Amino acid sequence: MEILPIIYLGYMFISFYFLSVFLFLFFNNRKRLFDYPKPKKQYSISVLVPAWNEEKTIEETIDHIFRIDYPIKELIVLNDGSTDKTKEIVERLLKKYPKLKLINKKNSGKGDSLNAGLKVAKGELVVVVDADSYPDKESFKKLVGFFDDEKVGAATCVFVPRNRNKFIEKMQVIEYNIIAFTRKLLGYVDAIYVTPGPLAMYRKTALNKIGGFDTKNMTEDIEITWRLIQAGYKRKMCLSTNATTTVPDNLKAWYIQRRRWNVGGLQCMAKYKKTFLKKNMLGMFVLPFFILQLFLGVLGLGVFLYLIVTRILSNYIFVKYSVSVGVPLITMEDLYITPSFLNYLGIVLFITGMIFTFLVFSIMKETVLKKQNIFNILFYSVVYLMAYPVIMISSVYNYFKRDKKWR
Amino acid sequence: MIKKQKYIFLYALLLTFIVFNIGIFMGYMLESSRVSKINTMYLDAEMELLDQMTQKDALNVVNLDCDLLVEENVKFADRIFEEALLIQKYEEANKIDGDIKFQHKRFDLLRTLFWMNSISIKQKCDSSYHNLVYFYKYNNPTIEQESKQKFFSNLLKELKDKWGNAIMLIPIAADNDIPSINLLTQKYGIDKLPVILIDEKTKITDIENLDDIEKYLV
Repeated sequence: MEILPIIYLGYMFISFYFLSVFLFLFFNNRKRLFDYPKPKKQYSISVLVPAWNEEKTIEETIDHIFRIDYPIKELIVLNDGSTDKTKEIVERLLKKYPKLKLINKKNSGKGDSLNAGLKVAKGELVVVVDADSYPDKESFKKLVGFFDDEKVGAATCVFVPRNRNKFIEKMQVIEYNIIAFTRKLLGYVDAIYVTPGPLAMYRKTALNKIGGFDTKNMTEDIEITWRLIQAGYKRKMCLSTNATTTVPDNLKAWYIQRRRWNVGGLQCMAKYKKTFLKKNMLGMFVLPFFILQLFLGVLGLGVFLYLIVTRILSNYIFVKYSVSVGVPLITMEDLYITPSFLNYLGIVLFITGMIFTFLVFSIMKETVLKKQNIFNILFYSVVYLMAYPVIMISSVYNYFKRDKKWR
Repeated sequence: MIKKQKYIFLYALLLTFIVFNIGIFMGYMLESSRVSKINTMYLDAEMELLDQMTQKDALNVVNLDCDLLVEENVKFADRIFEEALLIQKYEEANKIDGDIKFQHKRFDLLRTLFWMNSISIKQKCDSSYHNLVYFYKYNNPTIEQESKQKFFSNLLKELKDKWGNAIMLIPIAADNDIPSINLLTQKYGIDKLPVILIDEKTKITDIENLDDIEKYLV
């Protein structure tokens, strides 16, 4: 057997395996996907909002948080050296909201800002909310119950793109919902690997125990989750509440955001490499999953580029000869397709993938199917996902480039 | 319902193994059926070639109609050219069953035998048809060779459409390490692939227009 079919088979095997994992998890838990535990006690909550030049959104975020249907102890805005009017806006709101606090500091990054907030936070639970995110009224109420289990260190919910009119925004609506759904499923095997910035609730003692947020990581939300796993804390996901968040509305901003996520992921992989295959979810699932994604992305893109380049070259030579001599470019034999068994396996995989995708859509229909059509869904499944490996390669380059700078 | 959620990883692995084993087994069956079809094609072709050879040998003993023999020969050539294209399609699609390569070698030998027979009939019947033997690279062709071979293949089909019974198209893989083919390629000085050998005299490796070939067919 030649090398390319082996690579294709390997890809199909891994893809089918993960699809099966998700399908099994879904069918095993389908009746309790939207369940959340009712809290046995009232928790005191400190909300931390890190902000850097957020004058456009900060006021609405604060208003949203104070409208939440759960009493909070304090809301601390961590002004990370903003050069716009963020500080003035928050200072104005201090009079309106007595529980609002403002910490002004020099620009030092999100992780460091959160640590500053963590030092002064008085609540048992600490909720991190991005300054451009808007938690649902019931979000805290539906998340706190998870913390009755003392082993739970963090909980998060669904994120819904706030802006959803442009095509790229619609793609992210689909993506965010698939991510939320798979995160919920991963929660059943304690494999949630990120509690994202738009809304994450943490047990303060857990954060203190693991030493707070990593100030050097570009995705402090991934890193803190990995550290929580390592320390033995559970992470939970609630599908029945959400926070809306602003997503990139143009390709450049989208690309920069994704590259940052990937570079952060690479930093985490490097930091936790020694845990690889060690006996916990981080070593046995999360880290291998990230490494596999990286490996398959790089290899897949390499194979794809090789095939594209050789095909273009081959077609160019063929067309050059054929045109110069006047021989037809297409014959009847070219139209007669003989599929290989790999094509059939690919079709099976594609159909399984589509079944899973439509399953997600049927379950998350409130948020996904609005303003979506079959073209968007197919475009997402076939084209949008293809961009992931490209960003991955660019991130690897960026990671090493930056790594040298940091030294 | 699976009680221990973490067993799901094992169940999923098991399911994936089952699906893939079924897939590979069915793929093997599919490819085997193709190989079997090629084998049947080979046996038919072999029978027909033997018949052709018998007819040719009979020419020395009894007075047979040469025109009929040539006509049969052309038909057979057309058929093996079409079959060569089909085999090529099957080879591109077959990923597991290596038997198809063996079948290809058998066909190469059969076509070589046909070529020799065709030379012989041409001499005995003093016929005017042209033998166009197309030697190509079978194992790991370069991108340049692969593109050129695709072009040559289309070109030969064009020629066949235009010249009909005046030409015999005989495609032979030159690099399958078959001693008789090696000897013939050596004899005709074939050192570059792909190449079209016209009437055992002229080798064509580069073509700028159809006249480059057609001038030898007039």
